[in-house]
Amino acid sequence: MAFPGLQEAAHPEVPFGTTMLFAAILVGLIASMALEEKLHAKKSLIVGIFAVICLFLGAVLLPLPFGPYEIGGQQIDLPIYIPAINWGVIAIILGASLFVDVTAKSGLFTWIAIRLTKSSQGDPLKLLWYYGLMTVAFSAVLNNVTAMIIVGSLSTVSLSKLDRSDKLLGFLLIEGFLTNVGGLLTLISSVPNIIVGTAAGISFVTFFLKASPFVAVATVVSLVIGAKVFGIRSLATGEERAEAARLVDGFDENDGIESEAFFWFGAVMLILFIIAIATASVTPYINDLGMGFVALTFAIVMLIRYKHEVDTFYQTIDWDLLGFFAALFVVINVMEHAEVLALIGVGLERMIALGPTLGTGAILVSAALFSSVTDNIPLAAMLAKIISDIPMAGGGIRPPTDPLWWAVIFGANLGGNLTPIGSASTLVAVTIIHKQKIPLSFASFVKKAAPFALAQIVLALIYVLFVM
Amino acid sequence: MPKVDQFESAFRAASKTVFEYQPIAVRSILVITDRSKSEADIFGKQISDFLSVLRSDGSPRWRIVNGSEFDTVPELLALVEAEQPDLICTYRHLHSESWRWPYTLGEYVDVLTQVTTPPVMVLPHPDATRASEHAVKDTLVVMAMTDHLTGDAVLVNYAARFTEPSGKLFLTHIEDEATFERYMGTISRIPSIDTENSRRTILEQLLKEPTDYIRSCREVLEAEGLPIAVEEIVTKGHHLHEFEQLVEKHEVDLLVFNTKDEDQLAMHGLAYPLAVELRQIPLLML
Repeated sequence: MAFPGLQEAAHPEVPFGTTMLFAAILVGLIASMALEEKLHAKKSLIVGIFAVICLFLGAVLLPLPFGPYEIGGQQIDLPIYIPAINWGVIAIILGASLFVDVTAKSGLFTWIAIRLTKSSQGDPLKLLWYYGLMTVAFSAVLNNVTAMIIVGSLSTVSLSKLDRSDKLLGFLLIEGFLTNVGGLLTLISSVPNIIVGTAAGISFVTFFLKASPFVAVATVVSLVIGAKVFGIRSLATGEERAEAARLVDGFDENDGIESEAFFWFGAVMLILFIIAIATASVTPYINDLGMGFVALTFAIVMLIRYKHEVDTFYQTIDWDLLGFFAALFVVINVMEHAEVLALIGVGLERMIALGPTLGTGAILVSAALFSSVTDNIPLAAMLAKIISDIPMAGGGIRPPTDPLWWAVIFGANLGGNLTPIGSASTLVAVTIIHKQKIPLSFASFVKKAAPFALAQIVLALIYVLFVM
Repeated sequence: MPKVDQFESAFRAASKTVFEYQPIAVRSILVITDRSKSEADIFGKQISDFLSVLRSDGSPRWRIVNGSEFDTVPELLALVEAEQPDLICTYRHLHSESWRWPYTLGEYVDVLTQVTTPPVMVLPHPDATRASEHAVKDTLVVMAMTDHLTGDAVLVNYAARFTEPSGKLFLTHIEDEATFERYMGTISRIPSIDTENSRRTILEQLLKEPTDYIRSCREVLEAEGLPIAVEEIVTKGHHLHEFEQLVEKHEVDLLVFNTKDEDQLAMHGLAYPLAVELRQIPLLML
């Protein structure tokens, strides 16, 4: 083979052919993820199949480090696929989604959403801004998918009530794009943030301080473009305004509140949750237990309210997502042992070698392009692992402020806006669009999304390269 | 992870139908009888006293039709067309002795309720002895009845207009038990649907919507300064049986309900049996 760089990357114990075999499997995994909709298969099953193949081939062809493993000075016998999984990430996702599910039962999120709707007085432009800001806030505090579900559902109902369903496509697309912008606001807002942030050692507060200026500008730019592209304007006459105000006044924000006490409890717990997550890295003991512990603790406290029916909440857990993560971590672990990650690292090193501006920019754009056609989570997980293994120019550990981390974070999040399959939240937006029988093909999504995604990526390049 | 449908349902549930108050103007009333002129005038006077509430915004114009003025349905319809009344008052089985048998409304009333635009008030037959003691005296207790109250502002506005000051307006919504049980029976045979949970939540939601609407009616009518008390009756049961019991229990003076059905020429499904069976009090058929 005429790839000296690649040959050098191969571990002496792993033949180059074996590395290439596993690289082909990884390409197959990425292609399958991109074709998830066409395959009509859940992502946990797709990645699960690849994990099984990787483990079996790994056991045959690779020097996999089978146990027992030394944990806390003790030899513990564990199957290799257990330590391969990043349980901290799984705990954050499981705990946070359970917490959000139970808190949603308090009626808090619907209350906020309806209050905002009413305060817009039914004016479409105001509604767009309010829903846009709410999308960003919910994406930041909850997660992208939940934010899209809440705001998308409300948009469907409120625009139908206002007899403005012709604007629904614009609203849903803009909200979908903003989930990925809002997903950049905090460390727990999106899974790539959690994965890369954890690998880079970025604290919650640092993440917020670094990302928030970009999120503010990108949100405003996206809303301005959105209003223009989709022709969303203010109501012209007093008569129209009065009718719209009368219609939104029919919403009752208290309808979903079963218990006022639980509503306030949910509100207080949400604030405490944000504070606890934000300070987890500096709080004694909690620092050791991690953010996953915080998320699970808050979920358990909220579940006390429904102590006799907690199983109904367990049923709503997205086991597909958790299974997908577990299998993905296993695949990445095997890929690491097969030297595939080191192989990709060589390519990345060449890109980084282009210089701090061109190299970092190239990483951001590549991450965006990759995450636009496949799930951004495997991409983030792989890149996080690879970048942490690439040595700094002067040696030492790559600090949390290194622009490379941020290039991956921004690229992986914003790339999702380029295509309907680029991120889970845009996929939810498209699902709602199709549920409402609004025609939108893959190509027309890309056409409509291009101005937003390009503007956001250009802004991100400027921000990461010249501002941060 | 929450589902799209979960939140869509929550927001749809929060989107309430708000009652819109529209004052009902009754400026001309056509009283149709099959009696001689003198008897018709007596009947007309009785109706005028009964509907004294309509004088609150000026005395309406009364036109009393006696039996000699029409012999056929087309003649009667021509009379109505010529008068263009806001309200028609009459009784069952005009020009017929069939009022003795309580099975129909008679051809004139049948056609009047379906063909003419103004509401028709059907009163107990002058010769029959079936009228309740409190009937045709005043409208202190008015009941609006339907199996779908939410959004029916016309029904509520008419019922409110005919309720005397300091009177009671019952807004009544009865979910049909037979229909509900039929759907529940089907649900109980579908393994993927939790039967008990469905029964509880569907019934709760079915009754919540009219309850919310009645609350809105009460708030709006109070805000408009109408001096009437709005009472709520929302339940599940056998339509006719429940309505009969409620009329008797609350000594209703006037029952208001819809008769026209956009999908058919015949009277609204619930209206006909109500009109036939409830012969003891006046009925306002919209």
